[in-house]
Parts: sequence; structure tokens; C-alpha cells
Amino acid sequence: MAEKGGKGSSVPSKAVKSSLKSATSNGGKTSAKGKDDGSGKPKKGRKVQFDSEGLGDGIFGFSSGGKADSLLNKLNLGKGGKGDKTGKAAKSSAPKEPLPLELRVEQELPKHAKCLMDCEATEILQGIQEQMVILSEDPTIKIPVSFDRGLQYAKNGIHYADPASVRRALEPLTQYGVTEGEICVIGNVCPETPDEVFALVPSLKAKKSKLAEPLKDVLAELVKLKKAT
Amino acid sequence: MFLKVQLPWNVIISAENLDARGLMLQRSILIRLLDDFACKKATKDLGYFLAVMTLESIGEGKVRQHSGDVLFPVVFSGITFKLFRGEILDGVVHKVLKHGVFLRCGPVENVYLSNLKMADYKYVPGENPVFLNDKLSKIGKDVTVRFMVIGTKWLEVEREFQALVSLDGDFLGPVS
Repeated sequence: MAEKGGKGSSVPSKAVKSSLKSATSNGGKTSAKGKDDGSGKPKKGRKVQFDSEGLGDGIFGFSSGGKADSLLNKLNLGKGGKGDKTGKAAKSSAPKEPLPLELRVEQELPKHAKCLMDCEATEILQGIQEQMVILSEDPTIKIPVSFDRGLQYAKNGIHYADPASVRRALEPLTQYGVTEGEICVIGNVCPETPDEVFALVPSLKAKKSKLAEPLKDVLAELVKLKKAT
Repeated sequence: MFLKVQLPWNVIISAENLDARGLMLQRSILIRLLDDFACKKATKDLGYFLAVMTLESIGEGKVRQHSGDVLFPVVFSGITFKLFRGEILDGVVHKVLKHGVFLRCGPVENVYLSNLKMADYKYVPGENPVFLNDKLSKIGKDVTVRFMVIGTKWLEVEREFQALVSLDGDFLGPVS
């Protein structure tokens, strides 16, 4: 990581790889440039591995290549590659600038699946938990092992008591092209400023000029809902 | 992120559980569905199965030739939990190693945050090792950390996910 002076040295896909291996042969600058085609590196079979400094080989082997060529393309889209679905202009990123990994939930969601905010999920799971007492008396009824963990996570993360109001407050953002997944992340994160939103949901940066003002109003509304809890 | 999913499912009721009374049959179908759902644990597409919400419809039963069981195609809605790349989540540290920490996030046990992805944090060994930065912000056991997911991996045999996360970016790190 010596080639990267500033913090936030991660660059998606290749730089993830390069930062995890403490030295890359010439990976630094080329990976930071972010043009996969220009680097001459093959896209296939790329693995992200922690194999330096005694951590042991392949404790975590993440393949970011193979059938995930599209994954790579998605990651590279953040660097402004071609075929950018968000329509962002191509960026030539400065070598030291971190290129954010973008949320693309809708592209990865299966059919008939809908994103839920943590507060919405809490409401549903708590309702089920209340019936759990009755259900658990019947030994034939099995509860998924992940239920308790999921409920605990949802409860710990929520900042709002009324999910419906939160959903209504965030609804105006959809007319600016904010996706369901992005709305859920905003609802989960409970941001205080528009800067926080753009930092945590970089896919919205493309619409920053349009979104900045409406976002201020929406966040002000969310703050009221938060205080009401 | 939590997902509400609508799923088709095939529920197989063995002959001895078939009952002429409609309600008991529905009960058998529901119990069987809950059982199958709980056993499944997780899938690659939908994530961890948390709970069945509603049974939307029960289709016509088809008798299976050789066993005498009846197969009912049903549609139900349920809640699942899945990690997406680029998502911002909070996790709790449960193991601190020299080169990174493992966090737990919902049903996901193996969320790994490498030291290379927590800029400015240095490993401080000891009985309770932690990662510490210049501003004395601590990442140690039982600390809640906000991170961004940079990669996920589905393990077919264990039927679970692993995730690789990062603190590179503003507004990420330990939360109070």
C-alpha cells in the first residue's frame, strides 16, 4: 500500500486485491487507474486472498472473477467504465482517491423480493416473536435458527418507532431516481446530513445536484421521527 | 439487508398426515412448510431464512406415484437477511486477530475486517487485544462497528455466507 499515500486506499476489485497483498508488482498505479482494459490483467479467476504475514493462505478466498465478470464490471462501473447503467460519466480517478463500491441491490435481487428497512423488519419479526410462545409449545413446529439473531440485529439497529412514517418521509426521494435499496440503506443508517448520505451511498453522488435540497428536507423529517421515539 | 420474499414451494405431505378435515390438512401443510423452511437455513439468492410470514395460496395436491405422498405447491411470503456489496451495516466484533477482526452481523458470523481495511488503526496486543487509532478510537471485542461490505461469499456445504468488509470511507468505524 506504499503507493497510496492517503487514507481510504481501497479501490474496488483490483485494488482490493492489491491492498490485501502487501506488495503488488506493479499493481498500484494501474489498479488505481481503474481501467480494467488498459491494465492488461486478465479478468478471469481473480482471487482476493489474505496470504501475507502469516495469516495463512486462503482463510478467506473470495473470487471476484470467474462467473463474476459481471461483478467486476459492476465494481469497475464505479470508476466510470463503459456500459455504466447509472449513466455516470467516465471518471478517471486520481491514484490516491478511493473509488467507492456502489450498492446495486436491485440488480442482485431475485424476483418477487423486496427490500425492507430494519425498522420494518423489526416490526414484523417482533409480531412473529409474540406468537412464538404459542408456537413453541407445539414440538412439531420448528423456528429457523437465524430468527433470533436476525431479530436481535434488527432491534439493535433501529432508530425509529414508526416504520410507516419513515417510509412516507423517504418516499419523495423515489421521484429523483433513488432506488428501493438506496432508500433502505438511508433508513437503516439514520444519517444526519446530506454529506453523510452521499458518503455512505456513493451511487447517489451522480444525482447530488438534484438530490441535495430534497435530501435536506427528508433528513429533517427523519430527525423529527427519531426524536419522537 | 432484510428482504421480504414471495416464494413458491413444494410441500410434501405423507399419507398418514392426510386428513379428510380441511383445516387439519392446512395445518399439516403449514407445519411441513415451517419445518422445511427452518431446515433450509439459507440460500445463495435470498440469504438467511428468518421467518415465514403468510401462506398466500395452496395449490392442488398431486399424488406421487410410488410413495403415496401428496405434493402441494404453495406460495408463501417470508423474511430473509442477505448482505449486499456496497451496503452499510453495523456488526459486533467477536474475535480480534493480529491482522483483522471478525464481526457478527445478524445471522452472519464470519464478517472479516482486515487491518488493511481499517486505515490508521494499529494492533495493540495483550490479554484483550484491540485495534487503536491516533484518536484513541478502539476496535475490540464487543465493539459495534459500522462498515461497508466489499465482498460476499456463499459456502454451499455449510449453507452460510462470509463477508469481507471495509472501513475505508467517511462515517465508518466504531459507533457508540
